[in-house]
Amino acid sequence: MNNISVKNLFDFKKTPLNLLLAFVTLVLLGAFIGGIINFFVHGHESYNVTRQHPWGLLIIMYIFFVVSSTGLCIISSIGHVFGIEEFKIIGKRAIAGAIITLVAGFAVIAFEIGHPIRMVIYNVLTPGFTSAIWWMGTLYGIYLFFILLEFFFLTIKVDHKWSKIFGTAGLLAGLSAHSNLGAVFGFMIARPTANGVFYPVYFIITAMITGCYLIYLMYGFKYRNNYPPEVKAMFLKLNKILGMLIAILIFFEGWKIITALYGAMPEKSATILKTATSPEFMYGEVLLGMLIPFIVILFSNAKAIKPMVYASFLGMIGIFFMRYDLVHDTLIYPMQKLKITEYQLAPTWIEYFPSPTEFAIGFGGIGLAIFLYYLSEKLFDLDPDKN
Amino acid sequence: MARYGMALDYKNCINCKACEVACKEENGVWLGADKYRIWVGVKEIEGEYPLLSIASSTFYPGQCMQCENAPCQDVCPTNATYYDENGVVRVDADKCILCTYCINACPYDARYIDERTLTVDKCTFCSDTRLARGLTTTACQNTCPTKVRTFGDLDDPNSEISQLLMNREYKQMKSNLGTKPKLFYLL
Repeated sequence: MNNISVKNLFDFKKTPLNLLLAFVTLVLLGAFIGGIINFFVHGHESYNVTRQHPWGLLIIMYIFFVVSSTGLCIISSIGHVFGIEEFKIIGKRAIAGAIITLVAGFAVIAFEIGHPIRMVIYNVLTPGFTSAIWWMGTLYGIYLFFILLEFFFLTIKVDHKWSKIFGTAGLLAGLSAHSNLGAVFGFMIARPTANGVFYPVYFIITAMITGCYLIYLMYGFKYRNNYPPEVKAMFLKLNKILGMLIAILIFFEGWKIITALYGAMPEKSATILKTATSPEFMYGEVLLGMLIPFIVILFSNAKAIKPMVYASFLGMIGIFFMRYDLVHDTLIYPMQKLKITEYQLAPTWIEYFPSPTEFAIGFGGIGLAIFLYYLSEKLFDLDPDKN
Repeated sequence: MARYGMALDYKNCINCKACEVACKEENGVWLGADKYRIWVGVKEIEGEYPLLSIASSTFYPGQCMQCENAPCQDVCPTNATYYDENGVVRVDADKCILCTYCINACPYDARYIDERTLTVDKCTFCSDTRLARGLTTTACQNTCPTKVRTFGDLDDPNSEISQLLMNREYKQMKSNLGTKPKLFYLL
């Protein structure tokens, strides 16, 4: 751990990119605080969530962050758990990122859950063992504990034996927690498009893809496209893994859509047809999240590094839309098929657009994550040990 | 100990919404388009004038189906949603953390956020109001001018509801989901 003064803490090289990122971070942090103040003044009324669409942008951003955390943990484990040489260099930075994104996720969802303190108490006193949310929350708590210890033994009291033990435990807890997050949607029998095995598996695949994109962004920002040989070697391997993962994801998505449309099952096929033809899916998920990075990898024979940094930025925007669609598409079909109020039109697709407060808190979480990452870079040596 | 259920002779419903008003009054449900424990679904007349299908026009009074295998209970992380001794699905406001998972998981859109307690609320068959006072009817049943609703103990073979279910055909909403609803729509 580095000893630094407060003055040093805010001392960085004043390049245009650094200044831009500092400005964006400050704006997002300001939005985060402003959104929280507005939430405390107006409560849930400041969100655009409704009885028919009870989950909104904060749940979406929570999933976005914890997907990032799990993904970073899985990708980092390739090196220090499974021993693949090229990936050993990313261990500390990736685990720092995993902790930070998880903390950002918890910070965001704390303002969505109505009674977070009561949650901590009754999760222990009267646990709902049949609830995927209970398992997901509990396992994420355990996961955070393990990866904190892993980080401790990687950076503060360096001990590779213990870091590997806690790394393995963190990986298992993270995988379990994350597939349970998928099960939160997969268990909903009321929602045919979400119900089933798809989401628990899909979450792991997309987490790994997110982890790859974030590794690209973190190292791209650190080295400004001027990479030392060991980082280049890691990226060349990462490209192959990422290409394979995106190919699997394309297969998953393709067959999900085809099987839902085939036979025109009531509710399911109409919902999938509606969501698969939406711009968020076609341009957000498919083009940005999958096709652009995949095409870059494919046509460069998995050798492109600089273009992949930019493709990863677009990929993360695509990942955001994947999370957005995951929640919104699950809730889009009305559960009440008949109109329930006189003079009101018959229920159609459920509409939702986030409120300014939801945007402020949800996207403000990104500012919090960037700020914490900056702090961790200052406080800890995130580069690999020389020996 | 009972196993409460409700039979609805829904073809008698005239959509006067007295049941909605009585429920709000009895149980202190707030006003607002999103705040209701019970509702009347309206299926409008099909066809174009003059070829209108009078038979297609139906009103479907609805509320929590009091499922025996309730998805909302399964998904509750703190067991705030529970089956009481009479088989009624209830919410313990002290344990509800307002994660709203149950609202998402309910196939019938029967749950909403109660602004009084900032927890999830739903139909309780008036368990904490009328039944607690020793009455044997729910507010919606008591007020209905065309006697659509029959409330009672499904385990008692002599109860009016048991007799009705023995003698009339009925359907249950979204029964394909395996939720085993205890609201029976008489055909």
